[in-house]
Amino acid sequence: MSGALKLYSLSRSVSGRPSIFLRACGQNRLKSTSKGDYINVNPGEPGMSLNEVTDRAAEKVFFTELVRGFAVTLAHIFKEPATINYPFEKGPLSPRFRGEHALRRYPSGEERCIACKLCEAICPAQAITIEAEERADGSRRTTRYDIDMTKCIYCGFCQEACPVDAIVEGPNFEFSTETHEELLYNKEKLLNNGDKWESEIAANIHADHLYR
Amino acid sequence: MAKFLGIDKVLSVLNIVKENGGLRASLYKMFRMDELKVGTLVGTDKYGNKYYENKRFFYGRNRWIEYAPYYHLDYDGSQVPAEWFGWLHYKTDLPPDQEPFRPKYKWMLDHTENLSGTPGQYMPYSTTRPKIEPWIPTKRC
Repeated sequence: MSGALKLYSLSRSVSGRPSIFLRACGQNRLKSTSKGDYINVNPGEPGMSLNEVTDRAAEKVFFTELVRGFAVTLAHIFKEPATINYPFEKGPLSPRFRGEHALRRYPSGEERCIACKLCEAICPAQAITIEAEERADGSRRTTRYDIDMTKCIYCGFCQEACPVDAIVEGPNFEFSTETHEELLYNKEKLLNNGDKWESEIAANIHADHLYR
Repeated sequence: MAKFLGIDKVLSVLNIVKENGGLRASLYKMFRMDELKVGTLVGTDKYGNKYYENKRFFYGRNRWIEYAPYYHLDYDGSQVPAEWFGWLHYKTDLPPDQEPFRPKYKWMLDHTENLSGTPGQYMPYSTTRPKIEPWIPTKRC
């Protein structure tokens, strides 16, 4: 109220006469004036009749809202929870899920990677490092295949780029570590991942083969 | 009448306790898994983990794993082997022994859990010869 008064006096001192808006403000609030000056959308002032005052006091005294709130809480205790109980229950996952990397092998056990370095070239985070050398039998293979999993953004470009399906992003997402250096994967670790997860990787590739 | 009085709920609780092997076993299971559920045993993997299914629960909760007893409270999400991973994550409805296109090669390795923080953890090392050979001074005689 004092604020309105201040505003009132301020506008008065500036313009010299009270504006229509401020004049209307002091009188009946809920009624929109016929001139269409303004519509008051605020709830009106609380009524001071005996009835209304008693109702307000009763609401405060009887804690109805508190009791109703506790009732809702109690009801939810007996409801089936909407959350899953990880690690016993796990959420649905797509065959296209891109998790931990793995280097695959041919069914014969020969490693697939031929060190074409396409994955290294396409990697937007430059997380892959490859060095290649000729092997004793004359085939071209990697001697170093390092992935910095902390640089990797799991975009999946490496598995898209790979012409022989050697590097894949497997389904595993539970490979968090306690130290940074454990996430600097080398070729041995990636091949081990492939050997461990081949069953699931092959099933995923088969599940998606119609769409690639 | 029993349904109206809610006695069937009590009976189902008793049934769940019975299915889980008595009061003592049920209490241990509650302590270990935070939950007591019954379901049909779909299969057991070679590490002793048991896989259950009960369609009464909603999608996302209707399949679950009971980690092998020797893990006690050291169960971990990464102990699910690759063969059962797809089933537990609702990628396939078939258990791995019934699913075609799931290869079995002799070079495939046993599953290991995430060994971070244990002596068996992975530590990076170089897989190539060092490019710079340090100079080792020869002793003058």
